[in-house]
Amino acid sequence: MALSRTAVPAAPEARTRSHPHRAPRRRRRALSYWPQYLAISPFYLLFAVFGLAPVLFSFYLAFQRWDGIGESEFAGLDNFKYLIKDDVFWLSLRNTLLIWVMSTVPTLALAMVLAVLLNSVKRFKSFYRMAFFIPNITSVVAISIFFGALFATNYGLVNALLEAIGLGKVAWLQSEWGIKVVIAALTVWQWTGYNAIIYLAGLQTISTDLYEQAKVDGANAVQIFFRITLPLMRPIILFTVVISTVGGLQTFTEPKVLVGDSGGAGQSGLTMVFYFFRQAFSNNDYGYGAAIAMVVLLVVALFTILNWALVQRGQDGRTRR
Amino acid sequence: MTISRRRLLQAGLLGLAGAAVGTTAACGDDDSPTGGGSGSESSDISLWYWSGGLSDKVVADVPKQFPGITFKPSQIGGAFKDKLVTTISSRQFMPDITGIKGEDIAYFMAQAGQFLDLNELGAGDLKSQYLEWKWKQGSTPDGKLIGFPIDIGPTALFYRADIFKKAGLPSEVADVTAAAGTWDAYFDLGTKLKKALPGTFLVGEAAEVFDMAVNQSTKRYADADKKFIGDQEHIRRAWDLATKAVKLGISFKVQSGKQDANAAMSQGTLPGKLGAAWVALDIKSAAEKTSGKWRVAPMPEGPANQGGSFLAIPKSSKAPKKSFEIIKWLLDVDNQGRGYTDSALFPSAPAAYKLPALTAPDEFFGGQVTIDVFGPAAQKIPVAYESQYDGVLRDPFAAELSNVESKGKDPEAAWNDAVSAAKKAGERVGVS
Amino acid sequence: MGGLLLHAVLIGGTILALFPFYWMVVMATNTNADIYQFPPKFTFGSELATNLRNVFDSIDFFGSMLNTIIVAGTTTGLVLFFDSLAAFAFAKFDFPGRKVLFGVLIGTFFLPVGLAVIPGFVIMVELGWVGSLKALIVPAAANAFGIFFLRQYVHNAVPDSVLDAARLDGAGFFRQYYRVVVPMIRPGLAFLGIYTFIASWNDFIWPLVVLVNPDQVTLQVALQQLNTVHNLDYSRVMTGALLSVIPLILMFLLFARNFVSDLAKGAVRE
Repeated sequence: MALSRTAVPAAPEARTRSHPHRAPRRRRRALSYWPQYLAISPFYLLFAVFGLAPVLFSFYLAFQRWDGIGESEFAGLDNFKYLIKDDVFWLSLRNTLLIWVMSTVPTLALAMVLAVLLNSVKRFKSFYRMAFFIPNITSVVAISIFFGALFATNYGLVNALLEAIGLGKVAWLQSEWGIKVVIAALTVWQWTGYNAIIYLAGLQTISTDLYEQAKVDGANAVQIFFRITLPLMRPIILFTVVISTVGGLQTFTEPKVLVGDSGGAGQSGLTMVFYFFRQAFSNNDYGYGAAIAMVVLLVVALFTILNWALVQRGQDGRTRR
Repeated sequence: MTISRRRLLQAGLLGLAGAAVGTTAACGDDDSPTGGGSGSESSDISLWYWSGGLSDKVVADVPKQFPGITFKPSQIGGAFKDKLVTTISSRQFMPDITGIKGEDIAYFMAQAGQFLDLNELGAGDLKSQYLEWKWKQGSTPDGKLIGFPIDIGPTALFYRADIFKKAGLPSEVADVTAAAGTWDAYFDLGTKLKKALPGTFLVGEAAEVFDMAVNQSTKRYADADKKFIGDQEHIRRAWDLATKAVKLGISFKVQSGKQDANAAMSQGTLPGKLGAAWVALDIKSAAEKTSGKWRVAPMPEGPANQGGSFLAIPKSSKAPKKSFEIIKWLLDVDNQGRGYTDSALFPSAPAAYKLPALTAPDEFFGGQVTIDVFGPAAQKIPVAYESQYDGVLRDPFAAELSNVESKGKDPEAAWNDAVSAAKKAGERVGVS
Repeated sequence: MGGLLLHAVLIGGTILALFPFYWMVVMATNTNADIYQFPPKFTFGSELATNLRNVFDSIDFFGSMLNTIIVAGTTTGLVLFFDSLAAFAFAKFDFPGRKVLFGVLIGTFFLPVGLAVIPGFVIMVELGWVGSLKALIVPAAANAFGIFFLRQYVHNAVPDSVLDAARLDGAGFFRQYYRVVVPMIRPGLAFLGIYTFIASWNDFIWPLVVLVNPDQVTLQVALQQLNTVHNLDYSRVMTGALLSVIPLILMFLLFARNFVSDLAKGAVRE
């Protein structure tokens, strides 16, 4: 879209006063900031129509009974009342949390280690960085199918290796914990590189002077890492934790492809979003699905705030958004 | 802080959305019907089906048979029903002819208003050519024909004759028929198989036994009055059989139809499968290398029906008459025979059973004439009322069965949990 | 850490990261029956041509790839434009409500928009965009992550002094934007561009729902057609998957030499 040039106001001093680095002593009238409002409006407009409105509609649907084609009828709090008593939902919540912990903790820990390693290497930097990021490029569906083949009980590579070294086959996708392990392995494979690159970027912004100073003071590598590196990386770690929380609690494609609609043995792969899709699409119960969706939203918000508080705790003084 | 302002923002948008939603939520069947006069039918006709739902070769012959039209068949992958539902609610890009899977016909029956009554297009004249129960399954209670029968799914036991022989079990069809007459006898075979060839299992998963046994009865989980009948004898029997298979250790615990099962069939560690005639297609593609080694025998204690689909014409079709002509042709006796040869679709028109295509020996099954098993099975299929809530009500049973199978949960406790969960789920959708 | 040991560990990690792609090629060059063997076959087969032909016969590969390129390309262009514009506004101007609005922006991260697929679909029906590529492009044309990321970038990479100089020369907001800001945040744009392109290319749930016209689908939706649950033909599916990921890898290799340093310049402080 073509943007018109702004008419240049006559007085240059007025501009220099709106210096963003200090708290402005006096702001100009809002109207004169119209270019800025225009600049940011596309996002808010698009979000309102395509992001917020559907979620609000979802919220509305949660109080209805709708089978997808016919009329919807008002159902009050029925869906929510049922949800509270629905054992399958609580199971899905438990599954989601377990899978999330099993995926995210190793991913972020490995990513940090990897980032430190990548930071120390001198040659082939680009090669390594690209190699580790590439897993993130593949489509989740293809990778899930692939991991399904990898961990297949009767023809999978993993079991072949286990047999080769004398251990027996493991029924990965037919056992409760196995399913979770496979999903976690998939997530770790796909997201470690991505987070490592982010951490690496962060590491590179830490001035080496700090390290020099610390070495002079007699600190060893481990101390340097925990006393200097980690605290300075806190904001970035927070960022990745938040992203992992929001994304991880909504895991759906991986289990669906790996174990199908039944959720696998003991429905172990049934995550909250998976349950939502099952209720809405397979059981044609869109109202109940919407109610589940609303609860997912709450859970995501809750855990994000929790995680944020956890990571921020200990940050001296300032809380920054 | 920020939060209160955001709430305000949301409240405002909620109002906005509420207004918008009021108009969109009622996206039901209040569309004006299309399909003009007899002379003004469109000549573009589209068909939606899934892989294996119709014979691709027969579909490809449609343009030859109907030269005046532009025929566009589309094979829709993934979740067919979901695609159909979203398309119906979008009221655009609707196909003129659509397949409907057997498991979904009950749901679409409740949305009968979205489809044309094929009787009004002349289907009534053909009724006598098709199996009565199948015709009924595609009709609404007040006699509108929504779904034209494609195939039915008479079930049987598929087995690997060579593996059976290796394990010292009867391997000729006649012998297996005699030896697997009852479920208990069948399970005995399984136990012997496991002893002779450790690591080999007769049953893929407990749910396979469960679903087959349920389908052998004339009832399901809810009756026509929306009463819950999932705790009755017919379900209990199926439950006990399934849990017995687990207890005897003859279940492979692999999900039916999924890759591990396919691999096991290919490798020979799963030499048996209970399934409908169309399962032959699955086995053929999953275990190509084992062609010639499989046979078909009657299922223990009688056949059931599994699957079997329909063709329907959505009401938005702009060429209903021509579409019906095409349906008639696609599903006439000869083409049903071709469907069997090409895609293992068991005909719903009994006249087809005499066709050479069906009476021919099947190489994959070592030259066996499989109609000898499926033909009688088709005649004996017990007909049941299938409710649109069967899926929802079945879920807890399947989940608890999975617990018994994979976690060793006590079958009795699992049964009780399943029944109470099913009852709760039923209440939600109005089944008491 | 000893240089050799470091490289050994990294090489090991690289093998783990890239191994699946090797394996996918193995699957794509064999038949499905081969894949069901145990122990699995390690080597390449000679079935690639057959599998490719199968894939091209089963789905409209090139048509859907073209659609994907259109969608991903247009989306990326729009995202880079809208996000950078907004980022500039947030980073360098203190307009009333800035904090609140930015807070709202952060808040939008949490909305599980993926769950509102059906309501989103209904909205598309009302707009008449069902089945059209518009339905994929427009909702994605501006995103919070990009604005967030670029705001950091602008904050760090564009010195106020340069902006002030431009202002003294009489440049308004938009001229400052394309004369000063855009050239200075090129690496950030590169990063965001690649990120957005990849995300758009791999998106599949929403396109699957909204592209009801079987003639106009994106690559991921077309590939779904190969995934018949019952008889998953691995050789075909993996061939399709490889075909869809190779363009991305190529693009990534071409444009992402400086991937990390691009990211680094923007990631100083939260």
